[in-house]
Amino acid sequence: MTTMQTDRLVDDYLSRLEEAAAHLQRSRRAELIAEIREHIEAALREEDAAGEVAVRNVLERLGPPEEIVEAAEPPAEAEPRSTGRLEVAAIVTLVVPFIGWLFGIAMVLSSRAWSNREKTIGTALALLSVVPFVTLAIVDSYTESTSGTFDVVFFVLWVIGGLPSALYLGLRLRRTG
Amino acid sequence: VDGLVTSEGTIYPLLTRLRKEQLVTTFWRESEAGPPRRYYELTDAGREALDDFAKEWARFRDSVDAILTKEEA
Repeated sequence: MTTMQTDRLVDDYLSRLEEAAAHLQRSRRAELIAEIREHIEAALREEDAAGEVAVRNVLERLGPPEEIVEAAEPPAEAEPRSTGRLEVAAIVTLVVPFIGWLFGIAMVLSSRAWSNREKTIGTALALLSVVPFVTLAIVDSYTESTSGTFDVVFFVLWVIGGLPSALYLGLRLRRTG
Repeated sequence: VDGLVTSEGTIYPLLTRLRKEQLVTTFWRESEAGPPRRYYELTDAGREALDDFAKEWARFRDSVDAILTKEEA
């Protein structure tokens, strides 16, 4: 068996580990994989028999990747997707204009109740609401209109800007919570 | 260790937990052959925790032994 083939055994093992660790925090996952890789490299250097036998022995002693991940964080409590005070506060804050968006987004990002994908969409929605707001502001400054219409639309956008994001995140929370 | 660790890989999550609780520290050290290696060392708090556990364990072991020998007798 060539080196390339034994490397594949190791790669397969590590990708199984990565898959099993998908629910861990990113930093935790990277750390775990790095430690296991170090272990494999160190153990292989100590093995008497070279080649496939050595690799298989080392991997077998490591045990199934799933078992390692389970020791890191039992899946049941891995991601407490329960609605906590932080999540409720984040949604409420999101509705508050400007400062609320900033703090709301920060809270959403630090929460563990939402997946990364949900966080991205939620943040994008919150930021998207800024676009019509800024557009209106620019148009308003050009037309120099003093009519109240713009101001009203302005105000409404100002108030409901964070709503789509808050709504989306709230609904996601309901579904998974 | 015989009868304790079924798969060696599970030691790493455990070590990480100990590190988070600041019972062990980890550092790298050059090795004579090959790349540097990671070492783990007990902290003072870790040594204390180990002593506590050792005492607790001895008590537990004695109790179990007492029960088992009584049953046999």
